[in-house]
Amino acid sequence: MFEHLNPRSPIPLYEQIANRVRLAVATGELRPATALPSVRQLATELRVNPATVVQAYRDLESEGFVEMRQGAGTFVREIAPQTRARERTRQAAALVREMLAQAGRLGVSRQELQAALAEEIGVGTP
Amino acid sequence: MSNAIEIERLGYRAGRAFEIKDLDLHVPRGAIYGFLGPNGCGKTTTIRLLLGLLRPLAGRITVLGDAVPRDAARILARVGFVPEQPHLDPILTVRETLAFHAAFYPTWDWPWAERLRGQFQLQDGQPFGRLSKGQKGKLMMLLALAQRPELLVLDEPTDGLDPVVRRDVLSALLEYVAQRQATVFISSHLVHELERFCDWIGVMDQGRLIVELPMERFKNGIKRLRIDGTPATPDNLPFVLLAREPANGTGETWLVREWEPQMAAFFDAYGVSLHQVIDLDLEEGFVELLRTFRGPRA
Repeated sequence: MFEHLNPRSPIPLYEQIANRVRLAVATGELRPATALPSVRQLATELRVNPATVVQAYRDLESEGFVEMRQGAGTFVREIAPQTRARERTRQAAALVREMLAQAGRLGVSRQELQAALAEEIGVGTP
Repeated sequence: MSNAIEIERLGYRAGRAFEIKDLDLHVPRGAIYGFLGPNGCGKTTTIRLLLGLLRPLAGRITVLGDAVPRDAARILARVGFVPEQPHLDPILTVRETLAFHAAFYPTWDWPWAERLRGQFQLQDGQPFGRLSKGQKGKLMMLLALAQRPELLVLDEPTDGLDPVVRRDVLSALLEYVAQRQATVFISSHLVHELERFCDWIGVMDQGRLIVELPMERFKNGIKRLRIDGTPATPDNLPFVLLAREPANGTGETWLVREWEPQMAAFFDAYGVSLHQVIDLDLEEGFVELLRTFRGPRA
């Protein structure tokens, strides 16, 4: 689930981990009451600082995505459908922003981008 | 929060060519501190000084609250050390090496040592001298971890090891940190490896510590800025300008440190158009920092 972490990215690793969980909760890939790996397991597996995992889990808890139960672990919470929808919208917006930023760096215009998007999605092509 | 390692104005000299001068270094308790620097910059000497294996000419060193070299014996009992070169007896077997080490450390954890030995696939009867480089690297890490130290001092612990062994060794280290909340001081040339788990970075060059910052601040503070024209350097810069270089055509590239996003407004006030702020990863940041430290072009 966390195979696409990029330590070289300017986005901190705790934010990448939290974001991956948010997305999995929003899409239903992680069902309510599912246990997340323990801090020790995840830090060992990803070879990241345990403090990074703790920070990701704390952020997720304060946003209501997970619940940390003392001694038992971290569990996915039941999320309202509106919250899931909002999270998906947020993720979609983030993807587009990233694409626009990259297009800007490469000098690809908005029109060219729009045409390519339409083409890839399969709308507006005969 | 106190510091696990504190070095103030350290001075040391070996021969005429090499000198450590006014070195200050602070490792907060619980941190994983990446100690970077080119070959020959004094990293290994600093490590030997902080463990009391060399005598400083000046300055003050405190490790886990005790003074070095005065309390070195008490400190070493609580510190796991992986030296750059393994210095174990080549004729002792793996089992004998473990028993030898265990005798020095009252905190030695046999069940965990056994588990790690199995996990690392080290054979009890193999003499140390016949182990492969990877097996030696694993055994060194095992010895440092099984004594359950409060502080781990690791001098290039994965140098020359293949990616699979590196992974095993670092996973074991991070598992220990997760259960014990130990402090780690690690030097390495494999900058990308440190980028995954260090939360502090210290960079040394020519016998001095040139930067010491939390990882995120170090990484996010070093940027390349693309600007228009070649304006005179203003004297009230909110960031540190490391270098200015001509870029293709009419602009310039500025290499800066301690950058923060809101500083873009500075360029508006100054009447210069800032085109682009380019992120650098840890390795690029490190290389640029050294290049500009050695030959400032600003």
